[in-house]
Parts: sequence; structure tokens; C-alpha cells
Amino acid sequence: MTTTAPATSAPGSPAPAMTGSPLRALTMPAMLLGIWVLFALLSPQFLSARNLSMLMIELSATATLAVGVLLVLLPGHTDLSVGAGAGLTGGIASVLVFQHGWPAPAALALSFVCGVVLWSLMGLFIVRNRIQAFIITLGGMLAFKGAFWLVIRSATVPVARGGESNLYAAITTYYLPAWAGWSLVAAVVALLSLLTLQGRRRRTAVGAALEPLEMAILRLMVIAQALALVVLVCSDYRGLPLAFVILCLVATVVHILTRHTPFGRYLYAIGSNEEAAVVSGIPVQKVVITAFTLLGGIVAIAGFMSTAYAGASTTTVGDLMELDAIAACVIGGTSLKGGRGTVLGALFGALIMASLLNGMTLLAVPPELKMIVRGLVLAVAVWMDVRLGSAQ
Amino acid sequence: MNGPAPAPQPSAHLASGGASPALLEARSLTKRFGGVTALHNVSFDLRPGEIHALCGENGAGKSTLIKTLSGLHPHGSYEGEIRLDGVEARFRSLADADRAGLAVIYQELALVESMTVAENIFLGRERRHGPWIDWARTHRDAATLLAKFQIDIHPETPVNTLGVGQKQLVEIVKALSKEARLLILDEPTAALAGAETGILLRILRELRAQGVSIIYISHKLNEVMSISDRITVLRDGASVATMATAETDIPSIIRHMVGRKIEDLYPRTRTLTPGKEMLRVEHLTVAPKAHAPACLHDISFSVRAGEVLGIGGLMGAGRSELLLHLFGAWGHRTSGTVVLQGLPHPSPTPATSIQRGLVMVTDDRKRFGLHLDLPIGTNLSLSSLHNVTRGGRLDPVAEEQINQKFHAALQIKSPGLWARAGSLSGGNQQKIVLGKALMTAPQIVFLDEPTRGIDVGAKLDVYQLINRLTAEGKAVVLVSSELPELMGMSDRIIMLHAGAVGGVFARTPFNQEELLAAAMGQR
Repeated sequence: MTTTAPATSAPGSPAPAMTGSPLRALTMPAMLLGIWVLFALLSPQFLSARNLSMLMIELSATATLAVGVLLVLLPGHTDLSVGAGAGLTGGIASVLVFQHGWPAPAALALSFVCGVVLWSLMGLFIVRNRIQAFIITLGGMLAFKGAFWLVIRSATVPVARGGESNLYAAITTYYLPAWAGWSLVAAVVALLSLLTLQGRRRRTAVGAALEPLEMAILRLMVIAQALALVVLVCSDYRGLPLAFVILCLVATVVHILTRHTPFGRYLYAIGSNEEAAVVSGIPVQKVVITAFTLLGGIVAIAGFMSTAYAGASTTTVGDLMELDAIAACVIGGTSLKGGRGTVLGALFGALIMASLLNGMTLLAVPPELKMIVRGLVLAVAVWMDVRLGSAQ
Repeated sequence: MNGPAPAPQPSAHLASGGASPALLEARSLTKRFGGVTALHNVSFDLRPGEIHALCGENGAGKSTLIKTLSGLHPHGSYEGEIRLDGVEARFRSLADADRAGLAVIYQELALVESMTVAENIFLGRERRHGPWIDWARTHRDAATLLAKFQIDIHPETPVNTLGVGQKQLVEIVKALSKEARLLILDEPTAALAGAETGILLRILRELRAQGVSIIYISHKLNEVMSISDRITVLRDGASVATMATAETDIPSIIRHMVGRKIEDLYPRTRTLTPGKEMLRVEHLTVAPKAHAPACLHDISFSVRAGEVLGIGGLMGAGRSELLLHLFGAWGHRTSGTVVLQGLPHPSPTPATSIQRGLVMVTDDRKRFGLHLDLPIGTNLSLSSLHNVTRGGRLDPVAEEQINQKFHAALQIKSPGLWARAGSLSGGNQQKIVLGKALMTAPQIVFLDEPTRGIDVGAKLDVYQLINRLTAEGKAVVLVSSELPELMGMSDRIIMLHAGAVGGVFARTPFNQEELLAAAMGQR
């Protein structure tokens, strides 16, 4: 019998339709664990503090971009131009710093604005003219690549003037000292505890269903331990990489946007059924343009990271990054049709891709083979996702 | 409520000329989804050359039964036995059932829009000449089939140019082209106008004469009465009664379906004096898009608080288009004015209409009404998120509470707010759409075919809801193709004919002939 009983079982738990089934949710951690165990067995260096710190920095650019791309994948669009855009925005900042002597913060700010403007225009164009994002961003990919090469005159432009260091270079070379890392963890855990407590008080006050206190405490402890582990490993090398902190910030912002605001809800609704979204009074065009605009800013941030990591703007910065970002989202359970996907999933997907690349580099796997393995992993991950999805 | 349900009396042999062996027989089928029992010990039989109607409220188990019979729920996923020609059938898939000569026509059309009628009919069984498609034979065979059933559609017509009713007919021809000896139709006439329904029923009678057995599911009980030989009623997953059509009548079918007697099918309680004017439309002319010829011409009317304005007309008369345009989801206004609660409403969008207290429940709930793969809760609150947002952030507690409130008030039957909207039956899905609309606290509610494809009990709930809205001083505009519903629930009726007002009828009693004449433009 069906009943109208209130959902006493799992208050506040994420809606299954948005996150996929529990079985599905376990495939990614299992896959990641498998990859890590494999590399740890094959190469003792893989789990060293130094390599894990490197992995975190390598992860940062792709994962940041993946989290951004998620914003346009959710409403059922796509973006092939983010890789070329990352190169372009990184290149603009490099040229301003190295050739025009701008202070790094100003150069980064202007380049960031460029990203935002370009993507809001693309979003506007896609939405107003009802042209598929695939086509417009394919054009964007070519145009941005060309613009990028024009900006750097197809040369190599360092991110800092000879020998000096600046904010730009520091993005991937600065490490937060141990004390800062620990205080950050403490602050985050304290904030989460406070929010949990507030939420519970609110629910008690209005008589809504509560999850058991033990569950809440357990969850907080798992989060605290995971964060502590990251800081602990990092403190064995140079500290918490700044790039990783930036990734965490971007991911947190997008997570809050997608899960805790009407805007985020609308992204899912548009991806799930755009016509019904319109009739429900959702300003579909505005929401999609906003998603592209936000993506533009994130592309710039990812561009700064990947350029800083390379140490200079060269013609190849950003190559294939769009595919890595989309692959990360898809491995993380995002539907290319829209309406399904999470930030956490995209992060997991990016971590799987970055771990593969890092591990294979350690093992000196030839680049040809690396490409093939990454392609196969993408295909297998999506296949498993589909299989487990249809088994429900 | 009365006592326990009458005991199931499966396959009671009635005085219809002895016991011809059953073509298809289901023996004590039980089908569970997790903890929910959708079918409980259902028995059912279908004789050769019989039209056997399946009736029941939404969620009674009709769809589950046909999905089980047709292999969509494969053998092993249910308890009990399905026998075809006296031998147990173990369908693992639809394809198995297909090979056994069983064809199902679902409510949702499964045609490829971009292909022609002939291509669709032979999709997957292309007429070939070696490795190539034999177009001449494809078109000739399709034309033969269409002619056989006197359907006036050219085989080379692209499907996307056909109306819903014509598509339904094509779908049926496609099933028949497989030479199915057992046909299952799920709500085939839900989207059909009178004439097309007539064609369909005629075809079914011809098929019966040729020995084809048919399981016919419909909420339209007068159709069921006119075409079926026997009727089986399902309620709450059990077969409640199997009756010979000749020996029963509509009230007793309804009694079996709902388990109680329905005194009045259209319980409209009218307020004596309508209140202030909520919506006024003057000389409205609308084209599908700019620079296109107009298809709504010079329409004027007004709606007052506490009043139900019915809008009727034939299919294609512009009823839905009129509502959609006023709501802001369709068309380009070439002239005319619209005044919403005393203020002009010049170029509406759904968002601005909802902000100003005008909300619409569209007729196609799967396309325009619901996000089928999102949870019920997400669907309910989707148009009202600003009410549960504090400082830019969604308040999950407030959202859950208001969702619970509407979930309970509309008596939605579901496992909980987290369940996917698509997992519910049609009536419950419709209640979600209504709940979403009502949560916006509207002053004017447009209802476009709000009871299409939903069962008697859910229909009554919708009518009660209309009464509640008007009692609260809200205005309702009701579009319906069922004249009895329109006459039963409306305070005034406008009949549209070819995009213009064909007649305005004030107050009851309405006269069905007059309304029909206006719909045909004969006034």
C-alpha cells in the first residue's frame, strides 16, 4: 500500500533523483580506491607527501573547470570552449604582467572580467537565438584559441618577470603553512557544526523530522577527519597548496549555489524538462545566461591555475582541458542531457582523471598509452553508471 | 465508506454461449515494487474475439497489469502465471510478447516524428529489396493497410504534420501491421476528438469480427459500455469484479471502481453573486508568431471572482492557445487589451503572470507540467521557491513543511516527497501539477483539461478543488472537451469556433445542442 506518511526516514537527505542511487554513489569511491591501491603497489612514491601535494595542484585546475562546466551541463547545455578560454585568460594576464609591467592582481582582475564578459555574451547568444551550445562553444573554442595565440604572439610568456615572484606565480607555488592549514580546518569544522546545530534547532522548533544526532555527529567527524588528513599529508611536504584552497572555495560556492538556492534548483529543473520549467514561471533564459557567466569567471580562475602551473603561457596551455572537465563531470554521474549531477561527483571524477595521469607519469607510461587509458576509463565509468542506473 | 471490497470473482463464466477457452489468462498475479504491492492476486482472462475492458481508478493497477501481461515486467519479477493458448507464457521482454502476437499501444505515442507514416508503420520491419529499402512496397503496403481501415491519411505524410488523433490511428495501424492477434490499448481515446474516437471504435469492432482479442483501458465509461463485451474492474491492485457489459451499467461500474456510490459526478457549489472583475480580455487577436496570420480573432470576455468560466470548442478551435497566450507561454498579440486585476497585462511571460496571481495548469502534464525525473517535493515548490528562500538561500525546513502541507491537502498517494514524480499514477501526477500551481497563492487559475486521463475519484477531487477555489473568491477558467464536465462545473460558458467566440452562454441550465451548435459555428 502506498501511504501519505511524511518522509520520516531521511530528512534533509539529498533527493535520490538528483544524486543517483546509493549503489551508483559507491562506484566512484570504489574506482578511485582501486586506482590508488594499484598505483601505490606499483610505485612506492605515489603515496608520498610530495607526490600527493603535486597531485592536489594538478587536480586543482581540472577540478575547478569541471565544477564550472557542471553549471552549464545541469541545464542541459555544454561547453567545448573552456579549455581554449583557460589558455586565453591565462595568456591575457601573462602578457599584461610580463610585457606591460602590470601588477599581478590588476592583470588577473582584468583577465577575470574578460572571462566573465566573453561567457555572458556566449550565453546570451545561445539562449536568445536558440542555437545549440555545442555549436556556439565549438566556434568559441576555435576563436578563443586563435585569440590566445594572437595575444601571446604564439610565443612563451612567463607569468612573472625573471626571478621575481608575484601573486600570479604564487597560485601554484605558494603553500599555506601548517598552522594556517590547521586553523582553516578548525574554522570549517566549527562552521559546519554551528550550521548543523542551527538546522536541528530549527527543525525541532517547527516539529519537522530530525535525523538521529549520531548520524549528524558521525558525518561531521568524517568530514573533519578527511580535512585533517589532507592537512596532515600536506604538512609533511610544504603545506597546503594555495591552488587546492582556491579549488575548495570555488567548489563550495558552486555547491551552495546548486543545492541551496533557487538558482540551483532551476538549473536542475531546466535540464530535466525545459518546457515545464518555462510554464512553472522559471526565468529560463536568465538562469542559463547566469550559469554561463559564472562559468566564465571559473574558466579564468582555472586558466590562471594551469598557466601558473606551466610557469608560462605557451600555445598548448588549456589543450583538451574542456574534455577533461566534461569527462570528470560525466564520470561523476552528471547527465549530458541535463538535470542530474553534483559538485561532489564532479570532484570525484576529476580526482580519478588526475590520479590516473599522475600515477602513469610516475610509472613513466608513454604519453600515447596514457591517452588510451584515460579514454578507456571514461568509457568504462560511464558504462558502469548506465548499468547501475538501469538496474534500479 | 462501506464494508470490505467484494470478493474477487475472476473469470466468472457468464451466459455468453459456453466456455470458449481463454486466449490469454492471468492466474493470481502478484507484483510488488519494493514494499508496495501493485497487483494482488489478480486473475483475468481474455477470450478469442472479445473486447475486454479494464476499468479502475489511477493507481488501481491497470498499467501494472498490462505491463506484466506484455513482458515489460519480465517473467520472474512477478508471482503467478500467465497463460497464452493454455500454455504458460514466460515473456522476458516486450519483444517476446511481440513475437507471440501481442501488441500494446501505450498512451504515450511511440512514433518517430521526423519520419513519414509509412516509415513509422514498418519501422524495424522495413520492406526490403536485398540490402536496400523497397520504397515502392513500403508505400503500397502502408496505403493498403490505411485503406483497409478507411483511414484517410497519405502514407508519405510526415508524422510531425499530423494531429494527435491521427497519430493515434497511425500507431494502431502500426500495431495491426504486425498481424497481432491480441491488442492492448491503454487510454487510446484520451487525446481524440469525437470523430476520431468514432473511427477508432469502428476499427476495433472490425478487428473483433476478424477474431482479434482486445484489452481496452479507458476512463471514458460510455465508450467502454458501447464497445466492450466484458468489463473487469480493478481496485487497489485487486480484481474486484468481472461483468458482462450487457448486464451492467455505468453507476455500478463506478461503484466497483471507487468502492462507494457517487451521487453527483459534477458537484459544483455555486456562489450566488460573483465578485469583482479579475480578468478582462478585449478584442484580442493573436498570431502564432510575429508576421504570421492570426489564429485567435477578436476575442472578448471577462472573469469575476468566485466564478468558473468554461471554455469549450472542438479540437483546434484555439482553447488551449487562448489560455497559453494569456498566461504568456504562446503567441504574438497583434491587437487587443488584457486587464489583469485592474492593471494592463501587455506582454506576459509565465513568470510575470505567476507574480501577478495568474497561474495555469496545462493539458499536457508530462510535457509542460512536470519534471518527471525530479522528486515530488521539488516539483511542488518549483514555482514558489521565493517563499522559502531566506537571504538568497533555500530554507529546507520551510520548503519541506509547505510541501508536506500540499502533499497532504491534495491527498497525493506516494511513498513520500522524495519519490520521483514520474513514478506516480496519472491522477497523482495531476495533483502535483495542481499543487504546484496552487502553492503560488493565485487569484486566477487556468485549468486546461484538468481531468484528462485521470480516474473518477481523482476527477471528483479536482472538482472539489474548483469549488474550494471559487469559495475563496478566486476565479477559475476551465477548458474541457467533455461537454458534461463543462456544463456541470461552469457558471458561464464560451464556445470557441475556429479561433473566434462562437457563442456565450450565461448560467445554467446549459443546453448541450446549443453549445454544440456554437462550437460548429452555426449560431
